[in-house]
Amino acid sequence: MKDTLRWAYALNQWNVRLDVFVRHEDQQRALKTVSACGFDTIELASGTGRWDNISRPEVILLNHGSHQGFLDFLRRAQVRGVSSVFWDPQAPTEEEEGYAFRSTANPADADAIVEWSKPFVDFVAGVGADQLVVRPVGSAWMTPPLDADGIKVVADVWNRIGERTAAAGIGLALHYDCLGAVHTHAELTGLLEATDPATVGFALDTAELTVGGIDPVAFYREHADRVTHVHLKDTRYADTGEEYRMPGAESTMLKGGAGRRIERWFYELGTEGGLVDVPGFVAALREHGYPGWVVVESDHGGNPAELAMLNSWYLQRVLGVAK
Amino acid sequence: MVWTKWSYMDHWVTETPQGPQPPSFNRAYMDRYVKQLSALGFTGFDTFFFYLPLYAGMYGGVPGFERFLQDNGFDKITGIFSAYPSATRYTAPHVRETHDRIVADCENTLRMCEGLTGVENFIVMPTSTHHQTEPVTDDTIKVVADLWNRVGALTLQHGMKTTCHFEFWGAIRTREQLDTFFRHTDPELVFFFCDTAQHTIAGVDPVQMFRDYSDRCTGFHFKDTKNVDEHEAYRTPPDPELMAPQVTRWFYEMGEGGLVDFPALMKEIVASGYDGWLTVEHDKAELGGGSYAEATAVAKWYIDNVLAEAEAEARAELETAR
Amino acid sequence: MSDERAIKWSYMDHWRSNGPAGPVDQWHSHRTMSAFLKQIKAVGFDAIDTFDFRIWQMYGDYGGPAKYQEMVQDHGLERIVNTFHAADYDVRNYAPHLPETHENILEDFRVTMGRWSEIELDNIIVMPATLYYDMEPVTEDKLKYSAECWNKVGEITAGSGVRLTCHHEFFCGIQSEPDIDTFYSYTDPRYVSLFVDTAQHCIAGVDPVALYDRHAHRVSGFHFKDTRNVATGDDHRHRPDSEIMAPTTGKWFHEMGTDQGLVDFAAMMTAVRDNGYRGWISVEHDKANKEGGDYSESTAISRWYAKNVLEEIYR
Repeated sequence: MKDTLRWAYALNQWNVRLDVFVRHEDQQRALKTVSACGFDTIELASGTGRWDNISRPEVILLNHGSHQGFLDFLRRAQVRGVSSVFWDPQAPTEEEEGYAFRSTANPADADAIVEWSKPFVDFVAGVGADQLVVRPVGSAWMTPPLDADGIKVVADVWNRIGERTAAAGIGLALHYDCLGAVHTHAELTGLLEATDPATVGFALDTAELTVGGIDPVAFYREHADRVTHVHLKDTRYADTGEEYRMPGAESTMLKGGAGRRIERWFYELGTEGGLVDVPGFVAALREHGYPGWVVVESDHGGNPAELAMLNSWYLQRVLGVAK
Repeated sequence: MVWTKWSYMDHWVTETPQGPQPPSFNRAYMDRYVKQLSALGFTGFDTFFFYLPLYAGMYGGVPGFERFLQDNGFDKITGIFSAYPSATRYTAPHVRETHDRIVADCENTLRMCEGLTGVENFIVMPTSTHHQTEPVTDDTIKVVADLWNRVGALTLQHGMKTTCHFEFWGAIRTREQLDTFFRHTDPELVFFFCDTAQHTIAGVDPVQMFRDYSDRCTGFHFKDTKNVDEHEAYRTPPDPELMAPQVTRWFYEMGEGGLVDFPALMKEIVASGYDGWLTVEHDKAELGGGSYAEATAVAKWYIDNVLAEAEAEARAELETAR
Repeated sequence: MSDERAIKWSYMDHWRSNGPAGPVDQWHSHRTMSAFLKQIKAVGFDAIDTFDFRIWQMYGDYGGPAKYQEMVQDHGLERIVNTFHAADYDVRNYAPHLPETHENILEDFRVTMGRWSEIELDNIIVMPATLYYDMEPVTEDKLKYSAECWNKVGEITAGSGVRLTCHHEFFCGIQSEPDIDTFYSYTDPRYVSLFVDTAQHCIAGVDPVALYDRHAHRVSGFHFKDTRNVATGDDHRHRPDSEIMAPTTGKWFHEMGTDQGLVDFAAMMTAVRDNGYRGWISVEHDKANKEGGDYSESTAISRWYAKNVLEEIYR
């Protein structure tokens, strides 16, 4: 995309199950698709094990030998590089103490999580990416509500990791999602206030904020100085207020397993009935001279190639971005 | 008599509004999945250890999930599959220092199964990938055997037999290694689970393997393959099952012209007097445009027609021999 | 910028997407049509091709070809470039090698050209012969009768400003190299053009680059698609449809750049350049969703290939 904003595309929608998106030729097809849609930079998302070989830093390196080897692999498809890597330390992985369940909300887990960040910090820096994007805290339904002290515990972990990312010359961006234990506007602002603006930024996801009941355009305008990363996607629904607290909300809410039985929440840009004011949001980014990456995402959607193409069309034809 | 104890191994993928997903997507998808299996006549259900917390969450405990299966015509959960396909610093069957952790994991899995009607098999991959384990010496196999002897004693206390399922890409894969492993394990504690496709790919005849170990065999995965690994694909790091350069799809349902002689195996099973569960497994059936629903229906057709005939012949021969 | 290019890319109307009721084509609803056009535009195609039989949906669902073309243009694409006349050949009343059926064929084209008169097409594409098993043995006379038929049809379509162009399926009666050459020797270059389908010729054992080089002055378009298989035995004469029934091959067609593809696209594009061709190249994906394939993905990857490989040779 030829624009003053820096556009990237997230690969997460291709890797929707344990045993898919493993063969290199499948990954090349996804990279070519993204490239044909006009994106030359991608975001990766963390995973675990031998089948997450475009997700987990150690496994990527096992596949491609080195950071440069991985970049060469991307460049075969005319994808230039990596904008960012998403990591959720709450998601159990075999590389992190063999599926240990740890949480940033638990002070006893802090040292381990800081240690776990190392391969990601090294990888983000090694491939010349910009941001380590993280899930700051686990799902709300799994933990008691966080008070100010609880938020401080979470913030302290990220301040420590922020020192490491800063030392490595990369950014750290806390990503809000609609199920997280930091959920309300006040909690989110509290978390941002408790973290060091010099080293810890905010990854604003337009759809996740909207589902969570926070207006992404207004939030961006309030906190433009803290926003260092953007995920751009749309949604057709907002949480009615407490659905995120349903036990097993990942399934009961986001996969339509209970309640309103909504089986898909996240949509491509330009979807019918989309709640996100995408042109308004992008205009706000331009007004503030937003310098970071805008990562277009189609996660939790349907056919990844179709969604990438529809997102590209929207950028070209509605937002007027030249391909 | 026709074999009634057919169970289904819990691999399944179906289209959802969020793309192709396992039916644990939500309970409505689980309903559809289990009804399809039930309609075909499966009465046993095998699943993975890592699905247990998910099912417990969806049905109020693993026994609640089993009651859901029973409401749809199943007898019970018949097998639980547990594995460490990738060796880590914390869990690696060939590294003795990690055994306590693995045993503790198994205890957790067994705890989740409390209150079930009667799981028969605790199915394990005895080793991690070959490339992480090699060189595979007698000592390596001895260390692995010691682990499963321990786990075997533990699972028996819960009424389950620890039974070993050998991948073509695992560290115990040749006939010689298999024999060594079974020599080092206690026949009272560690059993044999015969995956027809995996052995065939590794160049081991599953029918002969069953013939030789029928007294220790507690179950089968009936699935087919069209390829023997002739290019040392089993050593492909990080993963031979999905990344082997020469073969994009290893596993097929029965009756699609594969290499396994299922009628011969069926006759051997009847002749041996085995009376346990027979399990159908479809692993990655969606590759190349396949569908789990269709693969499962076609496999059951094969069971009801081709294998039923083989079984009848074998019973008639037994009768004549008497 | 687009005017500087010698080559523009059009997308031939085959498509499936998965809906709640299973796979549907883009004509299923306005919504699926819009999603199709957006995807074609997004990856950089300039226009679309279509089939004649779509005209009923254009009239019924969009108010006619001109209105439908407006929708195409609203999505950022230029226009409809070519239409494919997929006739139901029948030796009783519609077979180019049987002169007694010619009047029926001519009347069909008079009516067809009237239906398309709202918009300007470049080509109307035909399979110039019946299915192989309905024409064999292929004799010089039959080729000559067929040529006479298409000369007259070409005159009709030229009257509407549209070129008649022939697309030789591997399973049609005129598919071997000598038969194709004989056929063109009897047709009038003013009225009958050649439309090179890279995969179909390859499957029939004909080198599409050499064929193109020999007939370049008469070539009015291309279907760029790939194949991994050459037809063997009687693959080309299986009832009712060799494309689906041929015993050797489950999926004949693949997108450009596919692994193990038989078409030498670099040589093809070089020939297009060296023959000074200017105009449209159509990309076709026929039955791309077989064996786990996906139209959206194949389309993105073929456009990636056009941009990163073919346009490096000629654009």
